[in-house]
Amino acid sequence: MEIGDWTAKVRRNAEISLFRFALLSVVALVFLSSSAEPHDIITTPVTWNREISRIFYSRCVACHREGGSAFSMAEYKETFPWRTAIKEEVLERRMPPWGAVKGFGDFSNDQALTPEQLELLTSWAQGGSPEGEAKDLASKDKLDEMIKESAWYEKKPHALDPAGGIVAKGDLKLTKGFVLDGLLPRNVPEDGSFQIIAELPDGRIEPLLWLDGYKQQFAHAFLFRDPIELPAGTTITGIPKGSTITLLPAPKK
Amino acid sequence: MRVALSSLIFALLIQQTPAPLPSQNAGDVYICPMDPDVRSNSPGKCARCGMALVAGLPDPVEYHLDLNVLPKPIKPGQPANLAFEVHDPWKNRTVTNFQVVHEKLFHMFVVSQDLEVFLHNHPTLGADGKFHYDYVFPKAGMYRVLGDFYPDGATPQLIAKTLYVPGPAPKPAALARDYATKDTENMSVELVTEPQQPISGSTTQMIFKIKPGDGLEKYLGAWGHMLVASSDLIDMIHEHPFIADGGPQVQFNVTFPRAKSYRVWVQFQRKGVVNTAHFDVPVKELGR
Repeated sequence: MEIGDWTAKVRRNAEISLFRFALLSVVALVFLSSSAEPHDIITTPVTWNREISRIFYSRCVACHREGGSAFSMAEYKETFPWRTAIKEEVLERRMPPWGAVKGFGDFSNDQALTPEQLELLTSWAQGGSPEGEAKDLASKDKLDEMIKESAWYEKKPHALDPAGGIVAKGDLKLTKGFVLDGLLPRNVPEDGSFQIIAELPDGRIEPLLWLDGYKQQFAHAFLFRDPIELPAGTTITGIPKGSTITLLPAPKK
Repeated sequence: MRVALSSLIFALLIQQTPAPLPSQNAGDVYICPMDPDVRSNSPGKCARCGMALVAGLPDPVEYHLDLNVLPKPIKPGQPANLAFEVHDPWKNRTVTNFQVVHEKLFHMFVVSQDLEVFLHNHPTLGADGKFHYDYVFPKAGMYRVLGDFYPDGATPQLIAKTLYVPGPAPKPAALARDYATKDTENMSVELVTEPQQPISGSTTQMIFKIKPGDGLEKYLGAWGHMLVASSDLIDMIHEHPFIADGGPQVQFNVTFPRAKSYRVWVQFQRKGVVNTAHFDVPVKELGR
């Protein structure tokens, strides 16, 4: 081997080594940046103490806490490792497990996240998920109050007695007037998406409930903010065959 | 991380304020300890009970929006009046104090189920405490109506409603990718996305290139407005530019929530004329 060839080979090997080192450094940097807390770049003004904890305590912590039905997300350090999974779950509307499309029917026990809450959670999860300043965290009393006001607290959404309701299996025409307080789905196709509407005799169409990804595991009633008066001759449509929806009557005054 | 880094670098290099997040600018609000529905962005006394308002952070509460349309039933091609009434979540009282956002108290979007009808306009607050708007629904079917408003002392609200115009409904939209340059009133609008294939749950930079590039003006206080609607009309997102300076390139940053196809409407104003263009953007799941 000529000296010139040897020098070229050494230089080439050195270049390859340098390239490998640079590549490994980049991979290591990416790995550290994506997995280690101190290396997360903060690009969001949204913090756990200020905005995110308030959303979590009003929508998630009733179940996600010590003694609740799911792992705890009551504290920043418990929630931080789940930040990416949380973002995916809420954007896909799998959590909270409300199972209905917002803005189709108006419910007093609505537990779906609002677009603003989704935007805040997304920004926080993508922007380094900072904890923020301690002074911004609500008091323990306030946080406890938010949990208790949640419709999921002590399984409130499940505790409804459908006695006196009308059981609909497929489309249904009302033979007499009915004041509708809510709907309780049973045996509906999981991961299905279907709209239940009321066609009134005067031609009006009232949107009642748009189920989307409703899970029997999290079965609950959908209670209207104001009862809906349905006259005789109203047809309820959109209930898939083989499914059961109970029409819940409004309490008599 | 690349997206976060590039966003950070852009933010550092360009002196442009990104669109505010819902409570980013909210700061302290002032709430009556007795009547939590009495709220203000400035200190003072409760107009109802006279107690001093107490500073606090706005809770992530959702206000209620009632939409009543007359006459009933709604008929396609005939005038209808939409009346929006906002209620507080504590005592269900009608809310009449709002902050001006982008020059208006109330922004309204109307989209038909086939995504052919798009309307962005501004109902006006009447003496009855309701926002009113006269509209002729052009066809039967389901419509999604989006109200965007900011009650005083609360956080901004973006609330969807659904209404039906009885009659034969159009087929739901089936959207294929449409990035073709659009010629509108007095400009052409080209779309480039980064990444080229948007991924659900990640930030997509949506860069609009406008020709001619002169004479661009702010429309309702922003260099552009965007409404994003999923083909099934479940997701509806209202965005403003992330980077814009009055030049021919405007960037919005959008996180598409789900792997669906989306129709994206953008509005830009040039020489006093509002231009509206739409593009169709299929969004995929990471790795699929």
